[in-house]
Amino acid sequence: MIIVMKPGTPDAEAVKVQESLEKQGFYINVSKGLNYCILGVVGDTSMIDPKRITVNDYVEKVMRVQEPFKRANRMFHPENTVVNVGGVQIGGKKLAVIAGPCSIETDEQMNSVAESVKEAGASLLRGGAFKPRTSPYSFQGLKEKGLDMLGEAGSKNGLPIVTEIMSADKLDQFVGKVDLIQVGARNMQNFELLKELGKTQVPILLKRGLAATIEEWIMSAEYIMAGGNENVILCERGIRTYETYTRNTLDLSAIPAVKKLSHLPVVVDPSHAAGMWWMVEPLAKAAIAVGADGLMIEVHNDPENAWCDGAQSLKPERFANLMQDLKNIAPIVGREL
Amino acid sequence: MIIVLKPGAPEAESKKLKEMLLREGFQINEIVGVNMTILGVIGDTSAFDPKRITVNDYVEKVMRVQEPFKRANRMFHPENSIIDVSGVKVGGKKLVVIAGPCSIETDEQMNSVAASVKAAGATMLRGGAFKPRTSPYSFQGLKEKGLGMLRAAGEANGLPIVTEIMSADKIEKFVEDVDLIQVGARNMQNFELLKELGKTKVPILLKRGLAATIEEWIMSAEYIMSGGNENVILCERGIRTYETYTRNTLDLSAIPAVKKLSHLPVIVDPSHAAGMWWMVEPLAKAAVAVGADGLMIEVHNDPENAWCDGAQSLKPERFASLMDDLRGIAKIVGREI
Repeated sequence: MIIVMKPGTPDAEAVKVQESLEKQGFYINVSKGLNYCILGVVGDTSMIDPKRITVNDYVEKVMRVQEPFKRANRMFHPENTVVNVGGVQIGGKKLAVIAGPCSIETDEQMNSVAESVKEAGASLLRGGAFKPRTSPYSFQGLKEKGLDMLGEAGSKNGLPIVTEIMSADKLDQFVGKVDLIQVGARNMQNFELLKELGKTQVPILLKRGLAATIEEWIMSAEYIMAGGNENVILCERGIRTYETYTRNTLDLSAIPAVKKLSHLPVVVDPSHAAGMWWMVEPLAKAAIAVGADGLMIEVHNDPENAWCDGAQSLKPERFANLMQDLKNIAPIVGREL
Repeated sequence: MIIVLKPGAPEAESKKLKEMLLREGFQINEIVGVNMTILGVIGDTSAFDPKRITVNDYVEKVMRVQEPFKRANRMFHPENSIIDVSGVKVGGKKLVVIAGPCSIETDEQMNSVAASVKAAGATMLRGGAFKPRTSPYSFQGLKEKGLGMLRAAGEANGLPIVTEIMSADKIEKFVEDVDLIQVGARNMQNFELLKELGKTKVPILLKRGLAATIEEWIMSAEYIMSGGNENVILCERGIRTYETYTRNTLDLSAIPAVKKLSHLPVIVDPSHAAGMWWMVEPLAKAAVAVGADGLMIEVHNDPENAWCDGAQSLKPERFASLMDDLRGIAKIVGREI
């Protein structure tokens, strides 16, 4: 961390700042220029709140050199993390494809979708039981009943299951039943939920918040990891921009950025990003080409009559075709599917 | 166009409105509900300003059904446009790769870069002679002298040249010397420049504005086309979002969107989007995978000492190995390089 003192700061004031940091165990490198005095703080500054220093009248500004995250930081963990989700490895050479409907509706629907995505090569099954809908009047999900349907369809077809948790009080039900617990975009900074998830060992799929920077997103992963659960998988799902033609703007540059900053696996959800089924295919291909560790794709056997998000769901046949193309792109970027 | 009248709008008022629209040559389809009256306006409304109707006190809102662009609209021109840039076809099966340095610096630099990008498979040579720099104190380009160097390097290596125009008073010179005239992001809505370019027949590379919606961008193409120049190629180069880790956020969903809305070719500039050389490769691959008609990539023989944007430039060797990967991806999406 670099602390820039205001021009003309009395030496005694700079020394005070220096001493207070030294007392906290940091080594201070002082460089005095003609106008400015600069203090270089050496040590793990991730615990320092820069605001505690900027309150000092003599401090011009404080600049972070190190990222504020530690456990998620690639610097301290150069190898890619591979997370084991019910036997499926995410983050290794093999790409993971999570597929399934937006909402869990019926046993028949879940079985039909699970079977067809499994056949096409998907490795995990998704389905929403607890649904964070913008309107309180929209279908809120089948809740516990849905969770059971998802579990059954998963175990029948040999697919680990992924579903979203909306509050910490459901954690007991999720642990043991759900192979990969999803934290949705709207809960990315629900810190109390993150802390509770950090106490478990269940893999967590952490979606990027609707207006979260890459750093804020990784800091949310850090919350979970700080509690002791290092099994975090990130998921880019589009961010809010001024463009309204697409529901969100898929930020694929976030993938190489996350890969540089962190060792955690990162997957892409092209379905929620665009909100339109015909964009899912090109964006899914682009996601693999850009270096994502996998995809989460909404597939529905009858999108026209889906209870939720039918417009962005692929039919099973289209999904199978897409998987063929993805299988071909993967080797070019050194991966397999 | 749909006109929704306010509840309780007197019939005389809706009649007045209808008569006005009929005089303009539109057909009217009136739907009278219990509370609301809706007028469906049938005909080409692209030249009609909806504000002329919203000024009416009895009008609740006006909604466009048709896009406001016509010549650029795929609806009236279902086949892809293929633009011939001095023998290089842009928009067909074969992808175009424009490569070269950010700024034209010296004859040696231009020749060295041109020879190596040509050997790697690039089909056009880029280089900035007139530079739109954020700071007036930054290098502004070699101007006419640079243009001469670019032209010489292009001719020596058999590559058509691409360079940016910043004002209409340079058009004569550009028409003579340049194969593809670039309108930069900052000039996307310089309508006087667009109108002047519309009077020429030279192919135009129109970059997306820093905060332009897809519709605004296509409307700028429409400006050029409405003047009689239909040779427009669009170029996505990243948009402004709240994320600051990358210089801009590359909006790859714009590619399938443009392809749906318009028949014009669209290429991607991954160099300006991210602003970092190590992101250029994954983003270029993703751009081809998502369905772009080509790429514009900054390549410099000595990025460390480049006069401009060295941080986002690839070295010729990296560019060559990227081209190999792009060839593999192109095949999977039904294209070739």
